[in-house]
Amino acid sequence: MRKKTLARSLTGFWWLTLAFLYLPLAVVVLFSFNSANSAAHFAHFSLRWYHQLLGNEQIISAFWNSLVLAIVSSVIALVIGCLIGYGMYRHRHRKLGWLIVLIYLPIVLPDIVFGISEMAFFVQINRATGLLEPGLVTMIIAHVTFQIPFVALIVYSRFVGLDPTLFEAAKDLYASPFQRALHFLLPTLKPALISAFFLSFTLSIDDFVISFFTAGPESATLPIYIWGAIKKGVTPEINAIAALMIGAVALAAVISLLFNRQGRR
Amino acid sequence: MVESSLLSSRRRAVVGETRHLLFSVAPGAVWIFVFLVLPSVYLMAVAFMTNGPYGLPQMPLSLDAFEQLAGFGFLGWSPGNLYTLLRSLWQTLVSTALVVVVAYPIAYYITTCREKWRPIMLLAVVVPSWTNQVIRTFGWMNLLAPGTPLSDLADSLGLIGPHMGLYPSNFAVTLGLVYNFLPFMVLPLYAAFEKLDVAQVQAAQDLYASPVRAFWHAVFPQTLPGLLAGTVLVAIPAFGMYVIPELLGGGKSMMLGNLVANQFAGGSNWPLGAAGAILMLLATFGGLYAMRRIGKRLGGGEEVVI
Amino acid sequence: MSDPTAAATAATQQAETSGADTREARPREASSIELKGLHKRFGKDTVALDGVDLTIEAGEFFTLLGPSGCGKTTLLRILAGLEAPNDGRLLIGGKDVTDTPPHRRSVNTVFQSYALFPHLSVRDNLAFGLRMRGEPAAERHRKVDEVAEFIQLGSLVERRVEQLSGGQKQRIALARALICEPDVLLLDEPLSALDAGLRSQLQVELQRLQKRLGMTFVFVTHDQDEAMVMSDRIAVLDGGIIQQVGTPNEVYEHPANAFVARFMGHDNLFAISASEDDWVDTELGRLRLDPAEQRDDQAGWLLIRPETLELDGEVPEGYNRLEGTVEERLYRGSRIEYRLSVNGRTLMAVASNLGQRMHDVGDRVTISVCPEDLVRVAA
Repeated sequence: MRKKTLARSLTGFWWLTLAFLYLPLAVVVLFSFNSANSAAHFAHFSLRWYHQLLGNEQIISAFWNSLVLAIVSSVIALVIGCLIGYGMYRHRHRKLGWLIVLIYLPIVLPDIVFGISEMAFFVQINRATGLLEPGLVTMIIAHVTFQIPFVALIVYSRFVGLDPTLFEAAKDLYASPFQRALHFLLPTLKPALISAFFLSFTLSIDDFVISFFTAGPESATLPIYIWGAIKKGVTPEINAIAALMIGAVALAAVISLLFNRQGRR
Repeated sequence: MVESSLLSSRRRAVVGETRHLLFSVAPGAVWIFVFLVLPSVYLMAVAFMTNGPYGLPQMPLSLDAFEQLAGFGFLGWSPGNLYTLLRSLWQTLVSTALVVVVAYPIAYYITTCREKWRPIMLLAVVVPSWTNQVIRTFGWMNLLAPGTPLSDLADSLGLIGPHMGLYPSNFAVTLGLVYNFLPFMVLPLYAAFEKLDVAQVQAAQDLYASPVRAFWHAVFPQTLPGLLAGTVLVAIPAFGMYVIPELLGGGKSMMLGNLVANQFAGGSNWPLGAAGAILMLLATFGGLYAMRRIGKRLGGGEEVVI
Repeated sequence: MSDPTAAATAATQQAETSGADTREARPREASSIELKGLHKRFGKDTVALDGVDLTIEAGEFFTLLGPSGCGKTTLLRILAGLEAPNDGRLLIGGKDVTDTPPHRRSVNTVFQSYALFPHLSVRDNLAFGLRMRGEPAAERHRKVDEVAEFIQLGSLVERRVEQLSGGQKQRIALARALICEPDVLLLDEPLSALDAGLRSQLQVELQRLQKRLGMTFVFVTHDQDEAMVMSDRIAVLDGGIIQQVGTPNEVYEHPANAFVARFMGHDNLFAISASEDDWVDTELGRLRLDPAEQRDDQAGWLLIRPETLELDGEVPEGYNRLEGTVEERLYRGSRIEYRLSVNGRTLMAVASNLGQRMHDVGDRVTISVCPEDLVRVAA
């Protein structure tokens, strides 16, 4: 009897928590279709804010900035992080404590400290040399810095999970160093590289604080634009961009679910 | 002759390995060093400089920034910064505790469900955190604004003044923090519950009559490593949080992150901001160290994953 | 280059066994292996190989036998090129390959863990070596089909590696190495992960295969039964040093020293206190032996093989006679093992089960030993 009550209240609590988790997102999506300019009362369905969105050049450019930032930084981080991950694995018997500390640093550093350090550094470099003016380039540098550790750790753990004799089998079967990279390392790493790329991409899109402090006047990303709009006074247009971003995440969730299914099969 | 060629080939192998290490690791190591270690060191140096015009740091070196952080300004001592610091600690404590209270039963509930549902349930918990922080927080602004059903409800219960809305307030900040960090606690706790040794629990049920004591002696200790890992993942970033208090709290709900950020974003007092950042770093590394110590003592040799 | 007699033997053996499979039997030039003064250290103080000199004939099934840590795997890895010796030379087919990297050696290895590439299908695993050597696709396809047929796993080539059983993986690993037609095939305890039945079946198959191909096989194992069943010759290693090289019956019947004797499974070793002409004094008493077996040194061990002891009937003229008590009897079906106590020492005896009366525990027995069956073993 008591067990049943416990199970039932747990189920209830689960659905309540889900409601808590999704309510704010649902409200954003719902009010993006609101014909009235109000966050409290839903008048009737309209696509008005989406139309307005398409005409807003700032939003369009912010969207492209976000996309370019995420893709370019993820690609650079993938190459550099993959090399580190492989180096860490290949030389795991050496003393690499300094490298581990270096790799964990971007992960444990609070966002805000990360952001202001970069900003202060870039500003001073720029004052001294004229290089690294705040903009997309500085943002890419900052993003790559926090993406590298995740790529490196994913690649490293993939290698650790492999039978070490596979490396020897490849050598034994006449593969030259270049052939080993092409026919053994890369194909074996493919799933790890794909998930590392998506994680980097998500981290980049997700980030606000570090982007905010390293951005220049022309390089606002969507979150920075939304932030500015909120600060200036909420407009329902923001609901529409936010809803679109939530839609993209939902899509990513479905894809990852399918991937997960396939992986298990 | 043979000896020497053998020796040189061995030496070549050693040199080759070292060169391999350099080629593979150097790009990333140099990148992180130049673009994170150097900036952090510079930031720490800034904290010991004097504030100049436009907020940029200047020589001479001084401890002005730390004095300002402690509340000493042109108008004598004011408790504002101290309150901010205490509020950060308090918000961290309360939100972490609330996250544990919510996450613990949720993580347990997921492990009791059928195996094929579990990945989907975990995904359901995690997906909201994939959306941008700003958007999530914006969602709560919409929900808690004056005139919304939730605010009206609080109003009619007499919890807030008429037409006030639930935000901006300290309460909204706490709520935002709990919302933001819930998945970070659910995941490690779920991992701990999944590894739970059921035999131990059954033995405990045999030994102790009451389920409460069985839980306390057999279940709770086994989930402790997960709980500690979750605490690290929640409390440390919560302490340095910037976005949530900035959007959901008013001027009276500022946390350390806002104090620091404002010196760089608008207020323009880099040394003061840098001093605040040093405080945050101390808290971060102190927290990590403490959790590792506790984890080593209680986890039964199990490393707490950070 | 290679020993002509061995090549001839290999060719004859090939002719003998290839009757049924003329298509698969490829006439080939097998390669001999010469190891000269190989030394290998790990770190500063771990010595894996301490001066190994060894010649493995072309077309031979050669086994490196020893306990774990004896250096046998290190030796195999040096042959494969996966490890470089600190000192010494390695010649394969008369050519010095000490400094040749593994991917340029015509040597292939069957790994203990099989090491099949998980990202490739069985077909692509089999074709991997050919592909790396740049053989054309059509040729690869034909050879894979041929080899798959040869190892009777033709139906599996399109599968994924994780769908295979342990025995199937083992055969695929073997085929992946054979398909490259190397000069030398190295096998690193390839059967150790399989259950007993499959294992003895594959032992026979491997041995037949080697004879049919006439390829030089170097096999590593810690199991002396496996070594004896399969090998033409065995090298017993301990502490990075070769203790004895010989045919299975040489190593079993005339072990070079007490370590080899014990490792080959001999229990009946007795310290010799004095010896002269045709007798030795041991813990069991004074025993007569073949004067040809006598050695110059006084010390050493006397080896008595349990199957040479006779427990029934009269002691023939000229035989050694011992009195003992049955301490334990183990009934093994085809044979019966007795643990005897002689002079306060334990002596093991084995009798074929021919339906004779069994001795009970506690029985007094008279043991007769032919002097020609006694073997002197160096310390």
